[in-house]
Amino acid sequence: MTTETTAPSTPRRRRFFSKSDKITLGFFIGVPTFLHVALVWFPALATMYLSFTYWTGIDISKIQWAGLANYENIFFNTPIFWDAMRVNTVWLLWFFFIATPLGILLAYQIDREIRGHKFYQSAYYLPVVLSLAVTGIIWNFLLRPDGFVNGLLGLPTSQAISFFGDDRYNIWVIMIMASWRHIGYIMLLYLAGLKAVDAALREAATIDGATEWQTFRKVVFPAMRPVNIIVLVITIIESLRAFDMVYIIYGSSGGLPILGVLVFNNIAGEGASMKGAAYAVILFLLTIVPIIAYLRQQFREDVK
Amino acid sequence: MTIEKSQDKKKKKLYAQDIKDRLISIFIGIFALLWIFPIAWTLWSSFRPYTEIMKNGVLSPPQELGLFNYEEAISRMELPTYFLNSALITIPAVFLTLLFGSLMAFVVTRYSFKFNVALLLLFTAGNLLPAQLVFIPVFKMYLALGDLVGDRRFLYDNHWGVVLIHVAFQMGFATFVLSSYMKTIPKEISESAMVDGANVFTHFFRVMLPLLRPPLASLAVLMTTWIYNDFFWALVLMSTDKKRPITSALGRLQGEFTTDYNLLAAGAMIAVIPTLIVFFVMRKQFVSGLTLGSTKG
Amino acid sequence: MLNNISNREMDRRLILKGAAAGGLGIAGATMLAGCAPGDAASAGPVAFGARTVDENPTKQLQALVAAYTAKTGNEVTYNATESNAFQNNLSQYLQGTPDDCFQWMAGFRMQFFAAQGLLVDVSDVWSEIGSQYNESYKIASTGLDGKQYFVPQSWYPWGLHFRKSMMAEVGLNPDDIYNWDDFMGALEELKAKGLIGFIGVDKGGWEAMGTFDILNARINGYQFHVDLLAGREKWTDDRVKEVFRHWEMLLPYMNTNVLDLEWDGGRDMLLARQGGFFMMGSWFGADFKSVSDADYEDLWVIPFPEINPDHARDTIDAPIDGFCVAANGANNAGGKDLIKFAGDMEGVQAMLDTGVPMTSANNGQDTSTYDAFQTQQLAVMNEAKYITQFLDRDTRPDFAGPVVGPALQGWFKDPSSTNAMLESLQSQWDALPPLA
Repeated sequence: MTTETTAPSTPRRRRFFSKSDKITLGFFIGVPTFLHVALVWFPALATMYLSFTYWTGIDISKIQWAGLANYENIFFNTPIFWDAMRVNTVWLLWFFFIATPLGILLAYQIDREIRGHKFYQSAYYLPVVLSLAVTGIIWNFLLRPDGFVNGLLGLPTSQAISFFGDDRYNIWVIMIMASWRHIGYIMLLYLAGLKAVDAALREAATIDGATEWQTFRKVVFPAMRPVNIIVLVITIIESLRAFDMVYIIYGSSGGLPILGVLVFNNIAGEGASMKGAAYAVILFLLTIVPIIAYLRQQFREDVK
Repeated sequence: MTIEKSQDKKKKKLYAQDIKDRLISIFIGIFALLWIFPIAWTLWSSFRPYTEIMKNGVLSPPQELGLFNYEEAISRMELPTYFLNSALITIPAVFLTLLFGSLMAFVVTRYSFKFNVALLLLFTAGNLLPAQLVFIPVFKMYLALGDLVGDRRFLYDNHWGVVLIHVAFQMGFATFVLSSYMKTIPKEISESAMVDGANVFTHFFRVMLPLLRPPLASLAVLMTTWIYNDFFWALVLMSTDKKRPITSALGRLQGEFTTDYNLLAAGAMIAVIPTLIVFFVMRKQFVSGLTLGSTKG
Repeated sequence: MLNNISNREMDRRLILKGAAAGGLGIAGATMLAGCAPGDAASAGPVAFGARTVDENPTKQLQALVAAYTAKTGNEVTYNATESNAFQNNLSQYLQGTPDDCFQWMAGFRMQFFAAQGLLVDVSDVWSEIGSQYNESYKIASTGLDGKQYFVPQSWYPWGLHFRKSMMAEVGLNPDDIYNWDDFMGALEELKAKGLIGFIGVDKGGWEAMGTFDILNARINGYQFHVDLLAGREKWTDDRVKEVFRHWEMLLPYMNTNVLDLEWDGGRDMLLARQGGFFMMGSWFGADFKSVSDADYEDLWVIPFPEINPDHARDTIDAPIDGFCVAANGANNAGGKDLIKFAGDMEGVQAMLDTGVPMTSANNGQDTSTYDAFQTQQLAVMNEAKYITQFLDRDTRPDFAGPVVGPALQGWFKDPSSTNAMLESLQSQWDALPPLA
């Protein structure tokens, strides 16, 4: 970072601020920062502390130090935790290898303004606009025992395929539902990034005789590096932090265990205990790694 | 000759490309239809009575079509109340998020001071934290603050409390997007403003803010979608159902004793309308405003 | 702390006595109501929290509230929340700005919040309307400190529900089903007719708890059941394994999509005549009535069959729903006044007058006014000597919902995992934090 003393010739900074400017700047930065720290970081740290205690979440004077008990309980006595880890991993892999690449390719094609691209863009983006509650209702319509798909197969309720209950299907059903939103979301981010890539670059490549795939791989994709990182981080975070979709379908029961629901299930409701806080911290630690990687990339140039 | 040949080749290639594009377009088109199908099916079902489907199956040809489910949904969901609640939460939250986000972005990109990077880091990372990590302490703080000012509903069970938590969380994303955009705005503009003796206030509101219109428009669409659709915070930070947003009113249609799925479908379709309007009205500005990563900057 | 659960056994004679004293109850109620108006007028506006947005119960509660306003002139704000949302948020609700009184359940779920100081002691309400209830209800309304925190509204038994006409078609006489063998025979016949014998649902994570409760009580008896839920017996006990062995015998007669159906899915299967027996609480009779009177008259309930002759059919899950006053409500006196009215026969009558079937806990509801299905519910109830609430009301909340619920769902996915599941249940019980 350059400072005023080392760069006296830079005219782009005023040498001093008037007092009122300083106050204004203080307000500009102070109010948002205070709000953010008070409502996000402070509570996050508090929860980290609480994860080492026994507490019902009600009477503050009854907080008892528990050491690592909650974590031990999770790691050694709670098989559902490992089930959830498994589901979250599948989720992550699915997003990484299937949903996200599809979103990127889609964005690439739409950006080339193929026939009907306007309609396609809206069609694929539509699910992103819907609330999770609505998404749940819509898919329930298709897949519940007396829903569309079972109706199509001609199965009565008693013999209906158990799309949400049977382990052979449920995770894939949820993956498809999640991708339904995720692909549109990634497409949109990537489209925004593609707008920033010089069109001349791509044209030059095509004229040079490069195939479509080569152009994408050798020219466009590398030029998109910053967006790629964002997309990667969003993919990781969305798959680890997933909550709404599963909560809408299964409520807080363990129909399809994922970390986000385990946190909620253990921290809210009647059975609240700080085991939920410990789950939240585990989830936090899992997400913070990609966050750090992302921030390092993002701010490398600024730090220089 | 050679020129002719190469042009011929080019033409052929273009022709081949054209066919390929058509194929790709058809392929994407088929998927697009699949994509819309769930929504279309729900819409279709919302015009049919549930009793008919119970009797004849989901695929039965319709005997009765109409808006009756919508009429009932509108009366049972108490739409005006819940739409108003959604507006009371979404509008201030989006406005404040954008205001604070652009203030932060403005200061960290236009003025150089020690904590720029640290602040940006803090905000961006904060945006990515799981909401459940903060919920118990936030709840307790809201109550404690309420007791302090002598009104428990100061923040808890008050739409402002929900607004603030949304703002606190979403600000990070807004700051991040806006600051990347601001980096693409030539510094000279700021310089000339400062040379003209504009104070910080004028510099921001008169010079920078108008230039931020495109990313603000896209962010407004995204934020509206996210905040409008949230049900988590409204559930845990409010106790009066009549104050909750429309997303929770859908629960009223999901009555334990008589789940009329087609009625629910109508309700869902109604709840979607505001975000759809926002999206289609601002569709054009939407993608162009989100220059993420700013490779050109 | 959990010892109280075992004390909550209801003597069936008390209930019978209560039922017989029906007429007297009404007289008593009117008398009591007569003395109350003085302090009622000073109670001011009251907020009431309903944990349902469903049609039938809403009709009842609105009638109750309207009758209260008509009588006292006190305005009532009616705040209804969808039941899952209400339960998930209850802890925050009670700590924050709850309504003055709200609808809740008896058992550990009430005692827990009472112990946390979030409910108001309503012993004085009991001293006024207590005579309208028999002792067992008072016990169920009592917190761990011996004071009352709850006023009952209604009860319902958990039993085997079926359609009489369906059984007749298959040629079965449900009266002949007394023990396990009879039951298995009936299931076999239903299966031969291509029907689902035993409707299984557990998407919500709580539905199957009812089946667990009754199997455990039938096989191992009431005392073992309550001891198990209180942590005095081990889940790894062979006797618990026996429960799952019996449950496994039912699986061939069950639908395969147990985890895809919530309780209402089961109800709809019964309505659509796709399944024979449905183990559930009798409350859903009101829904059958909403469909048609003929469907309601076709609905019947019998006790779960005997498995171990030592215990015959002596235990039943019969949860009690009712009302509490929230300590953080703005108007505790008003809340008490409203639930006193709700517990008084006058309030009960207002709910009954809606025509929505309800088996009230109040002695004043004359059993001679019961319809056939309600009379049968009472008969089912009376056959039992011991009353339990329900698994998620009889054990710690941080065990029932987050631990037992998913464990049973996991078992349905892989019924051969019984031993592993029970070991895990025990180790999770052992790892629970000490009760504050």
